[in-house]
Amino acid sequence: MSFIVGTSLLAVVSALACALPGVFVVLRRNSMLVEGIAHAVLPGIVVGYALTHDLNSPWLIVGAALGGLLVVLCNEWLIRTGLLTGDAPQGLVFPALFAAGVILISMDFQHVHLHTEVVLVGDLNLAAFHQLTINGVSIGPRYLYVMLAVLAVNVAFISIFYPKLKLGTFDAQFALVLGLRTKLLNTFFMFLVSVTVVTAFHAAGAILVISLLVVPAATAQLISRRLSTMILLTALFAVAGAIAGFWIAYVLNAATSASMALFYGFMFTAVVLINALAVRIRRYRRATASSVDAYRRDGAMSRLPAKPADALAVPMTREGTEAHDRPGPAQSPHAAE
Amino acid sequence: MNAVPIACQTRNLSVAYRADPVLRRVNFSVPVGSVMGIVGPNGAGKSTLIKAMLGLVTPLTGTAEFFGHPLDHVRQRVGYMSQSTTVDWDFPTTVIDLVTMGTYGQLGWIRRPGKAERARAMASLEQTGLVDLASCQIGELSGGQRQRAFLARALVQAPDLYFMDEPFQGIDAKSQEAMVHVLKDLSARGKTIVIVHHHLATVRDYCDHVTLLNGSIIASGPADEVFTRENIQIAYEARDGAEAFLATAV
Amino acid sequence: MDLIEFFGNHTFRMVFFGTTVIGLVAGALGAFAYLRKQSLISDVIAHSSLPGALLAFVAAVAIFDLNGRNMVSLIVGAVITGTLSALFANAIAARTKIRIDTAMAISLTVFFGAGMILLRFISNGPFPGKGGISDYLFGNASVITIADLVTSAIVGAVALTLMLVFWKEFTLRTFDPLLSTMLGFHARVIDTLMFTTIVIAIVIGVKAVGVVLMIAFVVTPPAAARQWTSTLPGMVALSGAFGAIGSGLGAYLSIAMGNVPSGPVIVLTLFAIFLISLLASPRRSVITAAVRRSRAREALRRELAGGGTEP
Repeated sequence: MSFIVGTSLLAVVSALACALPGVFVVLRRNSMLVEGIAHAVLPGIVVGYALTHDLNSPWLIVGAALGGLLVVLCNEWLIRTGLLTGDAPQGLVFPALFAAGVILISMDFQHVHLHTEVVLVGDLNLAAFHQLTINGVSIGPRYLYVMLAVLAVNVAFISIFYPKLKLGTFDAQFALVLGLRTKLLNTFFMFLVSVTVVTAFHAAGAILVISLLVVPAATAQLISRRLSTMILLTALFAVAGAIAGFWIAYVLNAATSASMALFYGFMFTAVVLINALAVRIRRYRRATASSVDAYRRDGAMSRLPAKPADALAVPMTREGTEAHDRPGPAQSPHAAE
Repeated sequence: MNAVPIACQTRNLSVAYRADPVLRRVNFSVPVGSVMGIVGPNGAGKSTLIKAMLGLVTPLTGTAEFFGHPLDHVRQRVGYMSQSTTVDWDFPTTVIDLVTMGTYGQLGWIRRPGKAERARAMASLEQTGLVDLASCQIGELSGGQRQRAFLARALVQAPDLYFMDEPFQGIDAKSQEAMVHVLKDLSARGKTIVIVHHHLATVRDYCDHVTLLNGSIIASGPADEVFTRENIQIAYEARDGAEAFLATAV
Repeated sequence: MDLIEFFGNHTFRMVFFGTTVIGLVAGALGAFAYLRKQSLISDVIAHSSLPGALLAFVAAVAIFDLNGRNMVSLIVGAVITGTLSALFANAIAARTKIRIDTAMAISLTVFFGAGMILLRFISNGPFPGKGGISDYLFGNASVITIADLVTSAIVGAVALTLMLVFWKEFTLRTFDPLLSTMLGFHARVIDTLMFTTIVIAIVIGVKAVGVVLMIAFVVTPPAAARQWTSTLPGMVALSGAFGAIGSGLGAYLSIAMGNVPSGPVIVLTLFAIFLISLLASPRRSVITAAVRRSRAREALRRELAGGGTEP
């Protein structure tokens, strides 16, 4: 496998491995908590690296991931004390852990040489450096297989627990009444997110790994009516963004994760704008259609039954009086609140 | 003691938020087949009472029993309809999916809902008059339709005992009609229903039993005996709303 | 290292006073972000000031032929992109079904990603004074010049003065947004002013502390101050004081410890102040609250469990 193919595959697999759990991160409103996790794993990575000299060591991954979980648990504990308001609990612990990691690096702790830029945005090419060979034939970067394993674990976890993850995310209280203890599932899920972050750290760094986790899922959420659709679209956006980002970086000679983050941002903004435009067109069509209807009725030119403007307007007319207090599918859902 | 079997009861149930008591020594029981209204002013602990019974809030003292057992042994027989404001209605899911969630408890941890579960969900949508909206995204529903979807989710479990938290809160006439129809049907089939209700004027329309609550039980029993002018006055400490109601209704 | 030796050294003095000014301003204004329950937006603003600071560098070098890393152009550039990122996050949350936390994550990564691409571009380009430009990430307090210190002190003083002038409006908007709108204060104007002061407080730290850790300067001091006081003037004063003390102490420790970057050490010092406040403040601490609550609950439990049933 040529270096460039292997590296671009690595970008795609890392993007997918992060984006899938990202769906639930976004729906649980944990995006900024993941920002915390991504910073908090740093000291674990530094110490782990000093001990194993291998960023892909399973010991390092699990150990550093526990550091990420620490942020989640501290956040819950700080909220429970009732002594802090707003989102402050999420912003208190991770800078301290991250600072500790930076200090360890700067003190040349056990001769760990991690460049600051690599810590923040990773280095895909460096990550892809160690090639795996079988009988002298390269089968791609070793790190690719590590990411594939994480992707497989994430896919397995999400498919096995899909109904419970969904219910626990949507309505945890109801799940509890049904006797499903989603709290443990939730903690385990956050641990898995943490593992994913640590593994992807090598390729995307502490800050841009959040982009891989959050942005494809958020883009998909804009246009999804069902969770299964959202997961499929998330995967699609993740892969498309990874390929585009990889080539942009290649051309510009920039960090792959940075150009991926930028491209994901463009994709998100484009979907927002296209979606808004579609809504406007639909609303315009409906407005013209209903004024035509009014004209027909008032002008008594025709006794033809009024037709709904389009397929999406159908539910509006189904229940007569109720149509008034329901926000139309075309409107922003926030109008309902 | 009453000869009628008991669907659920609490013994000395108290709940405190931090160190402030919300419920004090609540003892009440709901006979099988009755429609029990839990009535009281704002902050009386009505929702807290059913949440504590269902294990959503940890009680300070006391226990709750369902059909003579702790909840864990009889979960399949107990259904819960929470207030619709508790969830995110932008969540990417359809009405039929939402209702199917009611079957997850019976499915256990790993199994998926299949055709049988979908069919049952469809039947509950039929009962609540939401069949036409089955494939809508839940955010497209009106307030009343949201409540009906939650009712359908409780129905799909086919429990013997229903807990409903303010089911008539902020709903339109059509939804109210549909909801009352379902309640009457359940009652006719011998199911037991516990409703948290805050609208005094309509308590008698829905409930045959009443529990007046204000931090502790003021009175509990058949509506005719309990829902009296005196009791209401005690429960509401002669507040304005109750005054107006008392002047016109009882 | 004794204090005379410490303050006798020009670089050490600069580090000490530079970070103390940052700590003071960020702490005092962070109190408003904390009470508005929007602490995390400061993380977005800080990360997003990177592309602005770098664009300002390019503009200063290429167009005006100035020292690229002068404080004035850095502040202007950083304020612009920092503000844009906050507006972008709020616009996403207001106009789409995406929630604010995800909107903040999106805004942060897009702006920071752009910043990292710019950083690479500058490092590879023919820009004089580009060495050390990546210090904007984690800061480097030892490169603070007298001019930098004076600039950040003046800008910080302007932000603090704005806060004092609009004290009444800020207070009302923080505690009762609805009432302040009803009383006719233009909510938009006051919000803009308030967030401008917070943005200023953040960007003056970019050079010395770096964009990645600035959040700690804005979030930690008010969270610590809240444990000791419950009035707004008390909050602002104590939070500013914690910020200044933590920064000064951290700067001293980082120098005394040898070759350790000052930003991260200050962050740890601030965190220590927060932990002490949380665990030991007399009025609201975790320990006293837990003890009091469990005692009260136990008393209540005994009262309610005994003595049979109520009528």
